[in-house]
Amino acid sequence: MTKLDLSKLEHNFEDQLTSRVLPTIWCSGCSLGTNLQSIIRGITTHAKLDLDREVVMVSGIGCTGRASGYVDADGFHTTHGRAIPFAVGVKMSNPKLEVIVFSGDGDLFAIGGNHFIHAARRKQNINVICNNNSTYGLTGGQASPTSFVNTTTPTTIHNNDEPFNLVDLALGAGAAFVARYTSAHYKILPRIINEAIQTKGLSFIDLISGCPAIYGKRNGYPTGEIMVQNFREASVEIGSIEDGSQLQRENTEVLFDPGKGYTKIPVGVFRREEK
Amino acid sequence: MKKVMNNMSEQIQTIPRKLTGKHLGSGNEAVAEGALTAGLHAYFGYPITPSTSIMEHIAKKIVYVENPGVFLQAEDEIASITAVIGSSWTRSKAMTATSGPGFSLMQEGIGLASFTETPLVLVLVMRGGPSTGLPTFPAQQELMQTHFGSHGDYLVPTLAPSSVQECFNLSVEAFNIAEALRTPVFLLSDQVLSTLKERYNIPEQIEIIDRAIPNETQVTWKGENISEILVPPMNCFGEEKKAFSTGLSHDPSGQVDLTADNYESLMNRLRDKILNYEHLFPQPEEYQIEDADVLIVAYGSTARSAKKAVQQARKQGLMVGLFRPVTIWPFPGEKLLQAAKGKKVIVVEMSSGQLIWPVERYIKVKVHHIGYLRGRIPQPSIIINKIKEVLL
Repeated sequence: MTKLDLSKLEHNFEDQLTSRVLPTIWCSGCSLGTNLQSIIRGITTHAKLDLDREVVMVSGIGCTGRASGYVDADGFHTTHGRAIPFAVGVKMSNPKLEVIVFSGDGDLFAIGGNHFIHAARRKQNINVICNNNSTYGLTGGQASPTSFVNTTTPTTIHNNDEPFNLVDLALGAGAAFVARYTSAHYKILPRIINEAIQTKGLSFIDLISGCPAIYGKRNGYPTGEIMVQNFREASVEIGSIEDGSQLQRENTEVLFDPGKGYTKIPVGVFRREEK
Repeated sequence: MKKVMNNMSEQIQTIPRKLTGKHLGSGNEAVAEGALTAGLHAYFGYPITPSTSIMEHIAKKIVYVENPGVFLQAEDEIASITAVIGSSWTRSKAMTATSGPGFSLMQEGIGLASFTETPLVLVLVMRGGPSTGLPTFPAQQELMQTHFGSHGDYLVPTLAPSSVQECFNLSVEAFNIAEALRTPVFLLSDQVLSTLKERYNIPEQIEIIDRAIPNETQVTWKGENISEILVPPMNCFGEEKKAFSTGLSHDPSGQVDLTADNYESLMNRLRDKILNYEHLFPQPEEYQIEDADVLIVAYGSTARSAKKAVQQARKQGLMVGLFRPVTIWPFPGEKLLQAAKGKKVIVVEMSSGQLIWPVERYIKVKVHHIGYLRGRIPQPSIIINKIKEVLL
């Protein structure tokens, strides 16, 4: 076996990342690295935005929160749950900037839930990407508002409540662009992110992600490899329904079996208002 | 209804954004006018008595006008303060105003703003607490919260006006301090000042400070150059300079750095940058203290009554003076110590005991106290009775 020369290794996105703060804090098998790559590709190669002066990356707290510091663009790592109001302040004060909120399900929908629904209602022109891994990874895998019924976490031993269906929530609150994909959809995601950026009003992507090291280990997908396979097998593409019937719950609910992982992930673009 | 609104917006368009000359107005109006004079660009807030009229006055002046500013009635006070921080990072002058319960909700944002060195102005119009308390009556129960409200060590410059003119002056001053020293600043008003109408004057020429642009401009405030070592010039969003910061401990570029040396020097610098320029902050008012046997210490609207008490007591032959801190934090302790030498000291406040803490810390003798909790300013007669009691 030939010895690997680390100094000769290159990263595809070296120019877009803040190399001196790498490696990331993220565990092996985590979705966040793939997701961040999809976002960067969407912003740079698809939306053709200049990371140096046109993009602000805003994040909250948690594993995902660190992402704003990893991207070599303007950014801010806010307090827990407050990425959206910060982004609103930025966007309203300088509408030329494209503001990307890159945060997690706990941050955006537990402590920050109120900010999300109001920003969506007010058609605030920001892009919210929820890295939805159904757990509080950084604090050790406690239940989040999107943890599934009967999944095991240190705070809900087999009696977790119903999770939020984030797509329904975003549609109901008035988001202008609503999509769901998984981190295994890294080929489509850059295009979807570009569409989100082009849409006026609040754009929301429920980006189903996995935390194999903590949540998956206890609930049916112990490694990153199994997780990606699980995402691919469970994803069902659903087209956008033009007559407004997107709110039907059976169309968008994510199903999960604590022993097997995801059993059904409806993916697609569920609302796309005029650009 | 629509027609009425249209008429309203037409009327509003004729109001000039900035005023000069003499005006009759409330303390809250003067605060708003001060902010507009200082160059306010963005206001984010949530209605709460008795601060709301600041929000309404600013809405009138920055929404229905040519070149409008940014105005948002947010979903709560947490969103308001956070949006103000976001706005400030686009090199905009931004503010919010609130009262008791709203100030409690804003504490996490205050910590973030202080730690990330974000210039902003927060007007706190005090009412009776705790909890919902006395929403429409005055009190002075947030003095300590302006210093210790958020978790962690931090120091936010805090100014307390005592008249409508001072509401205007200190509102401008608050923005200047925020911009010069890259810090949040509190303007500590109260319910009495919020509705009290007085004549105030807006001069033609007022010093307005804008924060430094890295490698381009330097700040000179009151004739003094601000050190770039103590106050690093702020990179803002959209300027191709990779502006970044975090609520985690960070290095001078804003990137996460949790090492002991970095954290210690960051914390020390954040404190020193305020203390080093303490002499440029508004100085305390010293009224008839030279020959006084008794020194009253009071601030805000309470100091108005205390001043009246000094005048009446002197007519009765009682030698009394008043020390009124205008800058509350950093506390003018050394000046107070000088002023209080050889005198008996009475602290008068609308709180069961907050101003007395910093006073006692500097004057290491017994301090007498009026902690008035009746939802109004203590009348001069109450203060005079206390003076007589102390002199016995």
